[in-house]
Amino acid sequence: MEKILEVKNLTKKFKQIAVNNISFDVEKGNVYGLLGPNGSGKSTTFGMLLSTINPTSGNWKWFGKEGTDTDTLKKIGAIIEQPNFYPYLSAEKNLEIVATIKGASYQRIDVVLETVNLLTRKKEAFSTYSLGMKQRLAIASALLANPEVLILDEPTNGLDPEGIIQIRDIINAIAKSGTTIIVASHLLDEIEKICSHVIVLKHGTAIYSGSVDAMSNTKGFFELKSDDANALISALNSLKIFSSVKEKEDLVIAQISEDISASDLNKKLFEKGISLSHLMKKKESLETQFLELVKQSNS
Amino acid sequence: MIRLLKLEYLKNLNYKPFKVFAGLYFIVLIALLFVGLVDFDIFGNKINLKEQGMYNFPGVWNFTTYIVGLLKILLGCIIVFSICQEFSNRMFKQNLIDGLGREEFIFSKLLTILLLTGFSTLIVFILAFVLGKSYSNTQESDLIFKEIYFIFNYFLKLFAFFSFLMFLSVLFRKSIFVFLGFFMFWFVEKILIGIESFGVMRNINELERAKILNTKVFYTDYLPLESMSNLIPNPLIRTNMAQLLGMQFKFEYPWASVMVCLVWSLVFITGSYWILKKKDW
Repeated sequence: MEKILEVKNLTKKFKQIAVNNISFDVEKGNVYGLLGPNGSGKSTTFGMLLSTINPTSGNWKWFGKEGTDTDTLKKIGAIIEQPNFYPYLSAEKNLEIVATIKGASYQRIDVVLETVNLLTRKKEAFSTYSLGMKQRLAIASALLANPEVLILDEPTNGLDPEGIIQIRDIINAIAKSGTTIIVASHLLDEIEKICSHVIVLKHGTAIYSGSVDAMSNTKGFFELKSDDANALISALNSLKIFSSVKEKEDLVIAQISEDISASDLNKKLFEKGISLSHLMKKKESLETQFLELVKQSNS
Repeated sequence: MIRLLKLEYLKNLNYKPFKVFAGLYFIVLIALLFVGLVDFDIFGNKINLKEQGMYNFPGVWNFTTYIVGLLKILLGCIIVFSICQEFSNRMFKQNLIDGLGREEFIFSKLLTILLLTGFSTLIVFILAFVLGKSYSNTQESDLIFKEIYFIFNYFLKLFAFFSFLMFLSVLFRKSIFVFLGFFMFWFVEKILIGIESFGVMRNINELERAKILNTKVFYTDYLPLESMSNLIPNPLIRTNMAQLLGMQFKFEYPWASVMVCLVWSLVFITGSYWILKKKDW
């Protein structure tokens, strides 16, 4: 796999440490999520990788080249924190400025405006745009020079549900086209829907970096229900394939340690004389996995 | 370079302060063309600039560059507002992310400064020439261009001044603080000048003072704003009225001030770049 970005021991110290010694790789064609609560160092990390913030120590390579120079930046499309444009200029003129900086063709302007559904408003001043339109224009601007990698920092921040869905659809479409995307967010369901890999940040430290599937070492869990809960629990314990068996409200939750299919489990329990009224095999949502990780790193 | 010029053109095209101050500047300049025809009433005396010999070659170069030089703040406003808005709209950061180098940013602003300065210099040249041609007592060709170097001094004065404003704009990033900072700087310079000349003059009798003023080199002459203003002397001493009062106009080409202004410009430009480089955006 071709590596788009390799980050090694990146550290930034303002008055306190904002990013602490993080390392990760980004491979071509994948969608990466940078997860973490507010103030966990996501924007600072992006700032350093995009050359707006001077790192305290550490290094990185974009496309195999040390550091971030202007040629590299022209291959990256980035949206940081909030959409920034000259408020007194129209969308079209603003994109002309971006195209001039990036050396992109002006013909791309109408193409990207069409992608984000803003073509009919291109002559209007940026200051008259709604937040959703501004965010969409920012995406258009990031796409202008056919970037090899797209960096999105909180792309749906402050948008209404309709706006969030619009942005998510656009990002999904871009991801399908094979563009590498790095997206930062604290909205987990957003990441879950689009990312294949995640990097979880907390207080500037990367507490997890890898694929979404491997993020939790549990293999999922069963939700079970039977008329006799106690008998069910002891039967499950006797199978010795669960790391824990707990009662939660009227359901029994069994964490899987050795993988087993729902039908096999059902068969085994039936052989032990237990009939189930409810059986469901589930994977933890990214949210529970994330909270689990954060909890682990606390202890 | 074409790319950076295009960038500045796109940025300033519809920028209101640019239109307002540029418009204002040219209206005032055109009004100046006709100022010689008007009588001023000062202390009950009718003063007509034409009769005072202000438009005589070669003094007209001095006079025009000095007067128009006072208007440089109008163009300075364009520099300050257009640079400060890059920071207040977070566009500098966005430009960086889009792939504009910090040195390219400074260079693009320098191009704007050079264009404004060059344009203004051209206008001053035309203005002085037209005024001289219309009102001068002498039209001898060797007198006409004798003090043409004031045009170059004017160019340097504006360039140094705008470089200074660019530096302040990058330093403070808010136009209100830039203007406050500028006036503070101006004020402090004047105080330093006052202190130095008081220190020198304290033990010297009246007769010697005038001589010293003309010959002695003051350290404070090398401060930025003072060295800029030394490039073009106050032309009022050249008026017929001042000559009648016994004032003598003495002017030697200010090589030292020219050098100092060039050095200050360099300091301000590299200083601006250094700030952009060191700060986290």
